[in-house]
Amino acid sequence: MSVSDQRGGDSPFSFIPQRSHLNKDHELFEDGDIYRHMYLQNLPPAETGDQPKLSVSEFGCHAWGCCQVFRSVEEYEHHYNSMHRQVCSSCRRAFPSARLLDVHIEEWHDSLFDILSQSQDMYQCLVEGCGLKFRTSKQRKDHLIQVHKYPPDFRFDQAKREPRKAVKPQRKPSGSSVEMMEGVCEDVTRAAEPHQQEEETEAMELQSPSGPGAQGPPAGPQAPETGGERPKPRFSYRVPATVCFGQGSVRGFRGRGRRK
Amino acid sequence: MWRLSSVRHKAVPQGRSSEELKLKRRGHEKVLRQARKDQQLVSKRLLLSEDGDEPQTPMDANPGDQVVNLVLQLQHGGPGKEHHLKALIKTLRNPTAQTMFTKQENSMHLLVGLLSGSQAQWRLLAVHCLHELSQSHQPNVTQACLPATPYLLTYLSGQSTKFTELCLYTLGNLCPDSDVVRDKLLAQGIIPALKNCMESQRHNLAIVEAVGFTLSQLLQAKDAAETIIPMILASGLPSLLLSVLTPDPQFGLAPAIECAWCLHYLICSTMDKSSLRAEGALSRCSSLLVSLGGAVSQGNKEEGMELLVWPLLRSVGNLLSSGPTEELSSQVGDLHLLSALCALARAYHPSHPALARESIWVLNNLTADSSELCAALLDLNLVPELLQLLPCSQGINTMILRVLGNVAHKSNTFCSRLAQSGVVASLCATLRLSEPGIVVLSLEVFFMLVSGCPQAAEEFVKQNGVSLLKAVQCNGEGEIRQRAAHLLVHHLPSQHTAQ
Repeated sequence: MSVSDQRGGDSPFSFIPQRSHLNKDHELFEDGDIYRHMYLQNLPPAETGDQPKLSVSEFGCHAWGCCQVFRSVEEYEHHYNSMHRQVCSSCRRAFPSARLLDVHIEEWHDSLFDILSQSQDMYQCLVEGCGLKFRTSKQRKDHLIQVHKYPPDFRFDQAKREPRKAVKPQRKPSGSSVEMMEGVCEDVTRAAEPHQQEEETEAMELQSPSGPGAQGPPAGPQAPETGGERPKPRFSYRVPATVCFGQGSVRGFRGRGRRK
Repeated sequence: MWRLSSVRHKAVPQGRSSEELKLKRRGHEKVLRQARKDQQLVSKRLLLSEDGDEPQTPMDANPGDQVVNLVLQLQHGGPGKEHHLKALIKTLRNPTAQTMFTKQENSMHLLVGLLSGSQAQWRLLAVHCLHELSQSHQPNVTQACLPATPYLLTYLSGQSTKFTELCLYTLGNLCPDSDVVRDKLLAQGIIPALKNCMESQRHNLAIVEAVGFTLSQLLQAKDAAETIIPMILASGLPSLLLSVLTPDPQFGLAPAIECAWCLHYLICSTMDKSSLRAEGALSRCSSLLVSLGGAVSQGNKEEGMELLVWPLLRSVGNLLSSGPTEELSSQVGDLHLLSALCALARAYHPSHPALARESIWVLNNLTADSSELCAALLDLNLVPELLQLLPCSQGINTMILRVLGNVAHKSNTFCSRLAQSGVVASLCATLRLSEPGIVVLSLEVFFMLVSGCPQAAEEFVKQNGVSLLKAVQCNGEGEIRQRAAHLLVHHLPSQHTAQ
């Protein structure tokens, strides 16, 4: 019983074993022909140092809009784990940890939070285990600096802009700028573009798909967590199965907040 | 094993820096590549003359005038003929001189007279002159040599090695440039002459090499398939060519190289390969490849071996590409051909990736339609070796994935065995590669694996394949997206549907 028997009519798979014939002038034969003719014409063969380096296929990052390529699986994994995990499905920001992603979603994309925060302390301290909550994000920032000794030139979340129109929570346009935890760690991954650092303080509405969206670099102390063992693929439940990073959803989403 | 004894032929320029040589070589290579694209790839061989002069000796003064003078002096007769002829040989290395010579009245008549005369020494020098003329790429120069060709052909059945060699290389050089020359040569019986020469001088390496070269020049003609090839197939030359392809160390590498290239040109242009198969071409070429693969895997990479491996791979690959599959494995003979092909790919992929790729192409043609050979691939434990070559680009990984697909396609048992050989982990790596074609193929192979062997799915999940597959699905183009989605829905455990 061969595998081909098991293919249903609706299977998209189409591989068929096939022998192939190559003609004398086929392009695959070019290198061999050239080598042969160099020999006939008494041209010296290439020196060992002259030979081209072994050519390996590159790993390409699969995240939408990211066109980074890597020479090894390790480099690729590091990049992917740093830049594309824990991604917010609404605004496509990446966060170094699931917790920070949770906090982000709660504070930015939850209308209940908006309501409650007007009368309660809702802004949690970002340091795990601390548990304190604050009325405004500025208060939280001050707390982080004073109590937890975060550097003062740290970039925290900035004030959100008012939503332009009433939209469903998940689809709220993130018109505002910097996500939190941008500068958690000075150690920026190799893959992050240097120019991104400057862009961060400005409004980041232009989430151009050409480059990677502004990413959160891995937090220093937290890096082992994300980079080391393989955590459960947590981003999967941040990104509902129905939402895809493909063209349709994000572009439409991005445009929604901006059309006049 | 063999030694590439071509010291005589190699005219490596002396006294240049290696940088200069490198640049020069790259320049030449570029020219050749363009010529091939234009289907104008033509080479001529130059034999150095007896006194060991380098062909790059600078010319004095005006070569055109020199030629005229020399010819006049020769025509007047008198002493010093030998001296003048030697001077003429040197002068005729210059392209201007070559053109002047052909324009001069009765110049060729003079040479032909010497060539057909009674003085052996003058005959030899005359053929040297013709040899220099044959280096020209100008059709009017090569056509001017036509009056001499009947004599050159006649001398092929002579006994003097050096002389016969020169005749052969001269004829070989004259072939590619123009249809007129080629048609005349065919009419004058070049093919039977070559066959007789090779048959009677079978023991003479230099002659066999020269015949092989000349034949290969004929076979590269654009219209070879219509006229030349049928004549060659009918002449008895193929079996002679095959007899040269022996791993006998007494028989030099160089003749085998020429004959192998002839075979390649014959096989890739012939639609009906049955006559060649009947001669045992497949088993002969395969067993030679097995010897070469064995040598290479023991670290014996002789200089010039690629020149022999290349045409053999192509011959075997194309012989396999059509025809009945039932007797394939018996025709191939030694199943160690499979190991040899892997060994060749491994040995040559850093320096000659195209050669490695052709090697795997032959593997594809072997495994595509034969369960027996797929089983042999597994039995010889070649799959891990192939998996190690998966990072290599330039088409090597694509071809390897096809071979794996060929095996998986045959039966569920094969799928299990593949899964046990670590294919799943390798597919997780190839799924991450940036070339879409490779990703599609990887998905195809994985689909077959998982359809035939459910344990493969478990292994895949363990390797964190599910999140990988989702990323591939989300971000790939249509073909990729469809396949990834199908796999996620139908073949992977339901944990992906959580949340």
